[in-house]
Amino acid sequence: MLRIPIAERQNWRQRATEFGFHFHTMYGEPYWDESAYYQFTLAQIENDIEDPTAELHQMCLAAAERAVSSESLLKKFQIPEDFWSAIAESWQRRDPSLYSRLDLVYNGSGPAKFLENNADTPTSLYESGFWQWLWLEDNVDSGALPRQADQFNSLQEKLVNRIATIARAQGIEQLYFSCCKDTVEDRGTVQYLQDCATEAGIANRFVYIEDIGLGFDTDNMSVFTDLDDQRIDACFKLYPWEFMQREEFAEAILKCQTHWLEPMWKSVLSNKALLPLLWEMYPNHPNLLPAFFAEDISRGKVSLDSTQRWVHKPIYSREGANIKITEGDNTLLETEGPYGEEGMIVQAYHALPRYADNHTLIGSWLVDDQPAGISVREDASPITQDLSRYIPHIIA
Amino acid sequence: MTTRKRSTSIRLSRMRKRFALKPLALGVASVFLSACGGERQDSVIYTTLDECIEDNPASAAATCRAAYEEALAEATRTGPKFATQPDCEHEFGSNQCRAVETNTGSFFMPFMAGYMVSNLLSPSRYYYQPLYTSYSPYSPFRMRWAMADGTVFDGDIRKRKYRVRSSTYDKKPTVSRTIKRGGFGSSVRAKSSWGSSSRKSGWGG
Repeated sequence: MLRIPIAERQNWRQRATEFGFHFHTMYGEPYWDESAYYQFTLAQIENDIEDPTAELHQMCLAAAERAVSSESLLKKFQIPEDFWSAIAESWQRRDPSLYSRLDLVYNGSGPAKFLENNADTPTSLYESGFWQWLWLEDNVDSGALPRQADQFNSLQEKLVNRIATIARAQGIEQLYFSCCKDTVEDRGTVQYLQDCATEAGIANRFVYIEDIGLGFDTDNMSVFTDLDDQRIDACFKLYPWEFMQREEFAEAILKCQTHWLEPMWKSVLSNKALLPLLWEMYPNHPNLLPAFFAEDISRGKVSLDSTQRWVHKPIYSREGANIKITEGDNTLLETEGPYGEEGMIVQAYHALPRYADNHTLIGSWLVDDQPAGISVREDASPITQDLSRYIPHIIA
Repeated sequence: MTTRKRSTSIRLSRMRKRFALKPLALGVASVFLSACGGERQDSVIYTTLDECIEDNPASAAATCRAAYEEALAEATRTGPKFATQPDCEHEFGSNQCRAVETNTGSFFMPFMAGYMVSNLLSPSRYYYQPLYTSYSPYSPFRMRWAMADGTVFDGDIRKRKYRVRSSTYDKKPTVSRTIKRGGFGSSVRAKSSWGSSSRKSGWGG
């Protein structure tokens, strides 16, 4: 695993406009960075990332299986009680899932360490599935990279197939796509999934989360509606379940027969409370970091090794908000944010590898349960936040 | 044979959202074809008014003329606009662009190369759409039909008949009544208020 500088494609900004990649620069900072790439060997990809990703996903599913049928765990997962049976039903029906991203710490040798599972609303999908793919094609075409250079990235192919499979299995004629207003990045991610749906031959429509309505169909059944009062029977939402379960329409979710993507059981899989449960079920697994519930520590059920560093994370937290790193009684680093009231977990600190002064994080994608590629992000800070940069990769 | 670890076939033309060279003003295709879902509509592309008239019963001649003129007007209104002739010709080929004077300045726009119509025999409900093509070797539209927003049709310009979606025009009857909106999204408003930056962050992770 090497970080290798390379010349930017001269016309890449023009290409970005051409293909509708509108968030390559965010908050005035570069987000897409092609002044370098990461190079992996095929063995590193297959043995150290792809296989562990498949295995970790199966372990997460096994942990979810345990959580959905345990009231005490669902409580620890901070899932509102009203949703317990709906989540269990969604799990037992095996409501189909589309995709996930596992965040891994990996430096080219030794086991990758699993940081967390973005199983509900992962982003950086377009950059991964399409844009870095195009970067490689362009550089191979121009001779800047050798023709045999490859990339661990079958995301787009797998997404198209998976959307077709789900639509067929669920009898979905029209799939809605939804995200919040005022975020170019989320809209871009959702547009990409709409493009994949179009490739899969599935009719698709868009509605903003805030614009979704609640009403009744002609049989007086509760339905969610779009701005044209059309019923929403199936919807991909780039919006976290833990928010939806606490908002005004929460109760209506339980009444409406909407097919949601991701399915409701993903609120267990994407939950950081899964990490201590995994450590309990698979202690000392080479890809896991020790993790505990903060409440078990404060109750004296577990004691942390005070010579080692620990990361305190809210059960619901996004983009590196409200993270604290401690060693003994000392706080070494703390980020701000609006989360944490719902409870915390503690995970052993495992430093991100450093390449050219950057802290590097691997995102490992799954489409359903199939490993489907990686994304590489760099941050100036040891905690990857929303200003991290996206760097393409190759296999050579 | 080695197995590739990446997607083998991504159809770039399907992923393209814009012209290769950014026009000053982006074209706006009317909803006609960009709509998703719904039934498809038989549509025909004509390159001249006469083609339309010859191809249809005599009773459709007036509709042909109306559709042609409306498509021309639409082309001026929504077509891609470039600052310079070379920019426009880079995309559409030499001698394929015309200068347009407007009260906001002068631009170069491609000629309308054809127009797509459907439902011609139903004069109250016909649809039209101006189309462009390119003779430039640098363009993804070379010898293909494209709409003002850069959407490219399958096949080359010899293909004249398409079945296109029209669901947005044919507004379906309302099947639901909506009692309330805005019941999702409140967490975002609450969580967005922290911090001092004007950053609008997404809720993916």
